[in-house]
Amino acid sequence: MNRIHITLCYSLCILVLVFSSKLAAVEPIRVVLEFTPDLDNGRRSFEICARCHLPEAWGNDDGTYPQIAGQHVNVLMKQLLDIRSGQRANPTMQPFVQERTIGGYQNLSDVVAYISTLPMNPMHNRGPWPVDSEEYESGKRLYRQYCISCHGQYGEGKNELSYPRLQGQHYTYMKRQARLARDRLRRVAPVMANLFTTLSEQDFDQVLNYVSHLPVPASDLAPDTAWRNPDFK
Amino acid sequence: MKENTDLERRRFLQASGVALAATTVSANVATGADNNEMCQAPALNSLLRKATLPRPRGARVVIVGGGWSGLTMAKYLRLFNPGFDVILIDRQSAFVSFPISNSWLADQVDLDFLSHSFFDAANNHDYHFMQATVLGFDRETRRVYTEKGFVDYDYLVLAPGIEYDYGRIGIEDTEAQNLLFHRYPGGFVSSSELLTIKRKIHRFSGGTFLLNVPNGDFRCTAAPYERACMVAALFKRQRVRAKILLLDMNAEIRIKKAGFARAFAELYGDYIEYLSSSEITNIDIEGRRVETEFDEYDFDDAIIYPPVRASRLIEDNGIASPISPQKAANTDPFRYHLLDDERVYVTGDSRSQPFSKGGHTAHSEAQYVAEVVAAHALDKEVRWRSPQTMCFSAVDIDPLRAMSIITYYKFSDKTGEFAFDRTHLIERWDTQGGQASLAWAEGMYRDMFYS
Repeated sequence: MNRIHITLCYSLCILVLVFSSKLAAVEPIRVVLEFTPDLDNGRRSFEICARCHLPEAWGNDDGTYPQIAGQHVNVLMKQLLDIRSGQRANPTMQPFVQERTIGGYQNLSDVVAYISTLPMNPMHNRGPWPVDSEEYESGKRLYRQYCISCHGQYGEGKNELSYPRLQGQHYTYMKRQARLARDRLRRVAPVMANLFTTLSEQDFDQVLNYVSHLPVPASDLAPDTAWRNPDFK
Repeated sequence: MKENTDLERRRFLQASGVALAATTVSANVATGADNNEMCQAPALNSLLRKATLPRPRGARVVIVGGGWSGLTMAKYLRLFNPGFDVILIDRQSAFVSFPISNSWLADQVDLDFLSHSFFDAANNHDYHFMQATVLGFDRETRRVYTEKGFVDYDYLVLAPGIEYDYGRIGIEDTEAQNLLFHRYPGGFVSSSELLTIKRKIHRFSGGTFLLNVPNGDFRCTAAPYERACMVAALFKRQRVRAKILLLDMNAEIRIKKAGFARAFAELYGDYIEYLSSSEITNIDIEGRRVETEFDEYDFDDAIIYPPVRASRLIEDNGIASPISPQKAANTDPFRYHLLDDERVYVTGDSRSQPFSKGGHTAHSEAQYVAEVVAAHALDKEVRWRSPQTMCFSAVDIDPLRAMSIITYYKFSDKTGEFAFDRTHLIERWDTQGGQASLAWAEGMYRDMFYS
């Protein structure tokens, strides 16, 4: 157990170094998971998350909570560790992801695995411009130019590199995070931060609008919005 | 200069006639607007000078009340509009948290956990804290009056919270109200009440200990039931031979009903006697006897939590809603400003909307209202969003075990009313819930005071 901890801490140290070096812009960031997730324990640990995120983990269409159901495990893990360390400022969530509350790395690994298996919200919040509108098309062009290489053709992200899955995310949430990043209230990867100097706020709105209309594979969705997580009945 | 002072005095008297009557200034002054001699009274002069504050660095927002709503407003106003100059006014010198105070009564956290400094909040979030009592305000000149002088505002946010309404338990006489408040404080308005309550329950040597649940929209719906559990847990641990008489003015347990009913039966069957539909109609303070509609009960000591109403600051300044039973402010339910004045906002427990009166609700609501005020300054609109109500209830101690509920609100165009939405209730109590309750509070303090 101790050895596992040391390995993980070592990877984290590397991570911190990567963050603080100029290489960060080109080096992929990787959280190494050395644990075999236990979904049953993940479900039990998720109860603490569900007290705020609700058992479906679908987020709020007002943008105050993200959809985390169906998100990649490495993305979830990276955000949890960033919030735990303060790298990502989230004062109200921070105490919940400390070891004394949510548990150690094994528990984190279990809980992110569980969250990634949850079916997604079939009616996430979408941007105001419908498919085929001028703004949608403009967002599509910008997405292909700036975003597609990391976040993928369908906004599917990339687990191995901790690139978030964007499809299914609430438009309002992405807009809010973009504003925080633009105002430097949320630290993001340098390559993302650069985009805020390249693209205008309107460009961003259009890109996020396009992203919010990307279809989520039907097999990842809950049958309807009335679906309730049976693990919490 | 003399003319200015006169004008100022008149304005002040118009703004806060009722508040003045409660100060040391003679009643003559409050009623006779042209009594120049009385104007020389030192007490009044101090009210009529400008308060000593840093020079404004932008549009000034004055927030009255440094509770969960006011503290959150102050922080997020600065975040959403760094051009705002924010002044937070509270009559207390330090902040003591009411949420989690029941766990503190039963020694599950210490006082440091609950206590925080307004200076820390103001320093860390770059606004100014002023310790003063607000006596009134004049909306025409946009001026707030305190005993430390007046403060001019561009926007005024009122978050003064609640007051007890002893009249609704049959105590009409103000002297009796005062005596009852001092002898048997409810523990929901000032920190001295909490200290007295803790001493009471730790020193209780046996007999009947009276607790009650008020009716109406009182502060923290679950708190009186939670408190009964914490007091019972303490008596159980200290092996005090005592009965807790819990008189509920409501027909049934108002929230987490199954959970609390099970706790009363399974954990505290020997301690808690729960009586529903027990409307308190009178209290004999000296004789230590409480009267309900049909019965009378003797008690040895008590915590009396009367029904509540919005702070008198709302009513005294003529902005209470004529239809609000608890004299809440007459505001737009979605934009939070007075119906006839978009420069004055009312948030927190003086609001007119029927949201749960609790810390978390006030905190999430204030973030939204801060956005509304920031947007107003830019002539923009923000889409309405529901406050979030999150409420943990401690049930057992050593280790702390708790239940939780989270809910939102939605507005129905059909009924014209707000209703609960997306409620998630965990009525099973466990140590995970206990840990979560402390993590929740820590996160809230962190947000309002430190980061």
